[in-house]
Amino acid sequence: MVQPAVIATDALPPLPAIIIIYIGTVFHHYNQQNNFAQCYWNWTLQTRATQTSSLETLEIDRRKTHHTNPYAMENPAWHDDRAGQRHPPGGHSGTDDATGRVPGGWQDQSWRGTESIPMDPMSAGAEGPSRQHDLIHSTFQNHPDSHERSSSTQLPSLISGNTTLRWRGVAMRRISLFPNADPSCVELTEEAIRNEMENEEQDLVKELVALSTRERIRAIQDLPMSFGEKKHIRSQVLAFKSSTKSQQFTCFADCSENMSLTFRRCGYSVKSARQTLQLWQGIMKEISGKFGTSVLSYFLFLKWLLMFNIFSFLINFGFITIPLLVYDVSPNVPPNMSFRGLEILTGVGYFNYTVMYYGGYSNETIVGQVEYNMQLAYFFTIAVYMVLCGIVLIFSMAISFKENYVLADAASESAWQLLCSWDFSITSERAVRLRKNNLRVQLKESLSEKTQRTRLTLSVKLKHFGVYLGSWLLSTSLALGCGASIYYLCLYEQQKTTDTENWTLLQEAETLLVPFVVSLMNLVVPLFYSLFNKFEHYSSHRRQIYALVVRNVFLKMSILGVLCYYWMNVVAKKFSCWESMVGQALYRLVIFDFFFLMLGSFFGEFLSNVIGTRLLPRIGVPEFDVARNVLELIYAQTLAWIGIYFSPLLPAIQIIKFFILFYLKKVSLTQNCQPPRRTGRAAQMQTIFIALLFFPFFVGALSMVAYISWSLTPSERCGPFRGLSNSFSVVIVWIHHLEGIPGSQWVIWIYRHVIRSEIFYFIITLIILIIIYIFWQVTRGRKELIALLRQQIVNEGKDKTFLLDKLQNLQKSKPKKPSKQMNQKKHTKHSSGSQSNSSAVAQVLLARQQFEGDEERRDVGGVPVPADISTSSALIQALMARQRAEDLDENVYQKPDNNTSSSSTFAQAMHDRERAKSHGRDDHYTPSGFSENPTNGSSALLQAMQARQRAEQDRGDYAHDLPSSVSGVMQAKQRAEEEDGIQWTAAPSLNPAPPGSSALIQAMLARQQAQNEFDDGY
Amino acid sequence: MGNKQTIFTAQQLDAYQDCTYFTRKEILRLFYRYRDLAPQLVPLDYTNHPDVKLPYELIGSMPELKDNPFRQRIAEVFSEDGEGNMTLDDFLDMFSVLSEMAPRDLKAYYAFKIYDFNNDDFICKSDLEKTLNKLTRNELTEDEVRMVCEKVIDEADLDNDGRLSLEDFQHMIVRAPDFLR
Repeated sequence: MVQPAVIATDALPPLPAIIIIYIGTVFHHYNQQNNFAQCYWNWTLQTRATQTSSLETLEIDRRKTHHTNPYAMENPAWHDDRAGQRHPPGGHSGTDDATGRVPGGWQDQSWRGTESIPMDPMSAGAEGPSRQHDLIHSTFQNHPDSHERSSSTQLPSLISGNTTLRWRGVAMRRISLFPNADPSCVELTEEAIRNEMENEEQDLVKELVALSTRERIRAIQDLPMSFGEKKHIRSQVLAFKSSTKSQQFTCFADCSENMSLTFRRCGYSVKSARQTLQLWQGIMKEISGKFGTSVLSYFLFLKWLLMFNIFSFLINFGFITIPLLVYDVSPNVPPNMSFRGLEILTGVGYFNYTVMYYGGYSNETIVGQVEYNMQLAYFFTIAVYMVLCGIVLIFSMAISFKENYVLADAASESAWQLLCSWDFSITSERAVRLRKNNLRVQLKESLSEKTQRTRLTLSVKLKHFGVYLGSWLLSTSLALGCGASIYYLCLYEQQKTTDTENWTLLQEAETLLVPFVVSLMNLVVPLFYSLFNKFEHYSSHRRQIYALVVRNVFLKMSILGVLCYYWMNVVAKKFSCWESMVGQALYRLVIFDFFFLMLGSFFGEFLSNVIGTRLLPRIGVPEFDVARNVLELIYAQTLAWIGIYFSPLLPAIQIIKFFILFYLKKVSLTQNCQPPRRTGRAAQMQTIFIALLFFPFFVGALSMVAYISWSLTPSERCGPFRGLSNSFSVVIVWIHHLEGIPGSQWVIWIYRHVIRSEIFYFIITLIILIIIYIFWQVTRGRKELIALLRQQIVNEGKDKTFLLDKLQNLQKSKPKKPSKQMNQKKHTKHSSGSQSNSSAVAQVLLARQQFEGDEERRDVGGVPVPADISTSSALIQALMARQRAEDLDENVYQKPDNNTSSSSTFAQAMHDRERAKSHGRDDHYTPSGFSENPTNGSSALLQAMQARQRAEQDRGDYAHDLPSSVSGVMQAKQRAEEEDGIQWTAAPSLNPAPPGSSALIQAMLARQQAQNEFDDGY
Repeated sequence: MGNKQTIFTAQQLDAYQDCTYFTRKEILRLFYRYRDLAPQLVPLDYTNHPDVKLPYELIGSMPELKDNPFRQRIAEVFSEDGEGNMTLDDFLDMFSVLSEMAPRDLKAYYAFKIYDFNNDDFICKSDLEKTLNKLTRNELTEDEVRMVCEKVIDEADLDNDGRLSLEDFQHMIVRAPDFLR
């Protein structure tokens, strides 16, 4: 029987100790219960508790090769005296063995999820074997081919849901730690890893089984594995599912299986149909391939706006126009009115009497099969559309902000440039070349900025400030001037126009003056703005773009504001059917905006392309200016929103406009433009554009429409609201009408107590304010927490390097003993190798040696162990583990000297007894071995101290028992093991995985204590 | 549809659909793309899982990858043998991850692997240098390359180990919303 030979373990590197401990505990459990489930459970338990220490690893490829199973072989060698409990080794060999046993391991944990670290291993072990059998048969034997795959799994990345990233990280780290492991040492660790991987895999499978079909498919798709592995996981999940089902109701299960399959296939065809229906998908791909994502964002925005308009057209047409057309097909055009062609541009004349404008709608209640109140329909359609638009905008803005802005951080500029800026969607060779050039230029610029950030002199600063001030003043005054001139132009035009029915062609043409001037201003003034921009010296490109955007927005706002003011205060008072007049004006603006957009892309892009390529190559091919183009779109959409009240079918015009514009811009882009040199952060720009679309523009349009419907008197002779004091009184009338109908009291109640009550709005406002305040505070708290956590990561990185340095220094300071040990170990390695006696001891030593080798390698490289959030606790546990490893080492170390001849434990025990005298030497070493521990800075926590005390006691026991009896040793060992078990169950709960601030405290404590003990040691 | 069905069994198609982000139609389209690369090598019948691998030279010549500076890395990362030779499964896998349906986490994971040239699961300085040279056509001086790499590590390395782990990389990705859009 094994005698706990005491061997000098000075300068034992920490990591080898860890693995020894691991193996040790596995063996112990094995020894006690001879229960595979127990073994494997323990594996997962501990490896999870000490993720970062990541004892086990090897090169990926090796996992594919077949290796002998150390557990199977070790079994007879160690526990011959317990032959009754021994498993027949024949049943366990090779892959069959591994896969056959694994289920036992994972069945224990079934349905407890991956996170259940502090589970009681004892209870898990107790129920292991019984469940093991039926489930293995039901699930795994069905798929013999999957076994092969499981052993060739490349990456043990086991994920689902929110554990995804963590597991991925763990998996990568495990493999990464020892990329160049010595092949001869690999066997054991490989086995361990494979087992653990399979365990994790089973956990994953179980998690997946628990999900619903849809979620499961999603989760499988999201696994960072190769297709083969996914398929393997999938087949396991399906097999598991079908097996559980078939145990219950075969027929029903079959039916539901078929049903779900049919549903799934149905879902797939719907999905593919939806994809074919997606507008412009191929064109979008082409654009992103040639010009990159930032240009694509313009086209996506265009498409998004197009969808808005299609929706608005559908509801307007469906709820307002169609009922009217059904009721009264022919437009009430005066007989002397004819279509002259110019109407398409001006929108007056013939159009004036159609359903195009407000004036074309009646105020009657259409009486067909049902009564249809046109007034109410008009009011509610417009109102609902505006509200829906607002909601959609708010939500898309909020989502976009959350994704792109709140988390974004400008600090990591160059890391971003290097690692995140490559646009993998680009496929054209020219674009790739340009991109490379641009990136190079940008990197060089940022470097030069960094190296020669000269202090600007006061005069230079003043000069810059002066330029800023000048250009801001100039641009603001330009915008105001534009607004004012448009106002006076409108007044001038209004004096000339009369309220007559029939306009001459000239009169009609004169109406085009205002939209022409407005559109011209929108085209020309931004060019001035970009000219100013050239003279300014902005420190960053982004600020430059923002300045440009703000100026353009201001210009467009002032123009639109003036026009709205003019319509509401002048037009509304003068014309008899003023809503239609405004509708016509908006129609003209929309049409002219379209023409000028085309002109803009002709002059701005085509001509400058011609100039750039033929005449002045110095200028070069123009870039596609995303910011300017998006602002143009926003402006166009604002016109449509304002116009929705006055001209319900304006969205139809807008749809045609956007549709043509898409192809126009696409052609112009591919023919004339080059990809933008500076891409900036396209996603953030997009967020800003959506925000701009919402805040000044949509809110402006909404408030204008609301003001009109609440405060202005509708025209008396035309439109659905004729004869009312304002549009909103439609609702009042309706409510009044409802009072006569029984059963509609609740509508009246809502109207009285909610819509018309100030108290309600007051309370709502108050609640919203409170909610906003709470969320604001929560956000602030989270920000602080993020900062703290980030600091914690940094601190723990420092702690870790500090501890590792300490350990390495100590190792170096005792160079003699380790070398002796190494020699001994080499000896054992050879002997065990030659005799093909893969006893556990040899394995342990090999593993240890490997870890030592690794430790040395790391010393040479000077690269510390990778960090993790749970570093400190993991380290502490690792150190604890080492403590116990030294106990084991004593046992283990005795064996190599005599294991050359026999594999039977009995014989070994006899040998050991004979060699008892020589233990005096070993005993001599032990005190130094243990007193050296604290100097290693290893016993970091109280737990570790306890463990040490206990270990010393145990060793005391051993020392007494040694000469007397083997069984005594075994008992002591068992006792120690039980204590260990308790210790282990306690440990994880003491160090819960998500550490929070307690981990920080622990880490600091550990560090302090390590420091103290380090001093004491000397 | 009739003759298409003979390429894959219904079960195979289901598996492909469950494991990639593609629909049946797209899978078939991709299969034809794959086959067009080497019609003499790839059989039209995949029902019995033929073991066919296309060499990297063919894969890298596809228009999607041809101009990508990382094409070799991409092919290596996604191929099972690590050398860029791809089976149909690898091929589908690659396009699935690179498609727009794939979530950012997954893309970030593979991007990390792509940038990790020496497969040590850390982006260290040598990896960054390689990335930089691939992205800028070797036109930066050594000094500049070194400075850029130092800056990158300085900015993105949270735990001060002098290289970027997957966690570091993900931290950075979270703050870079345009990543792989």
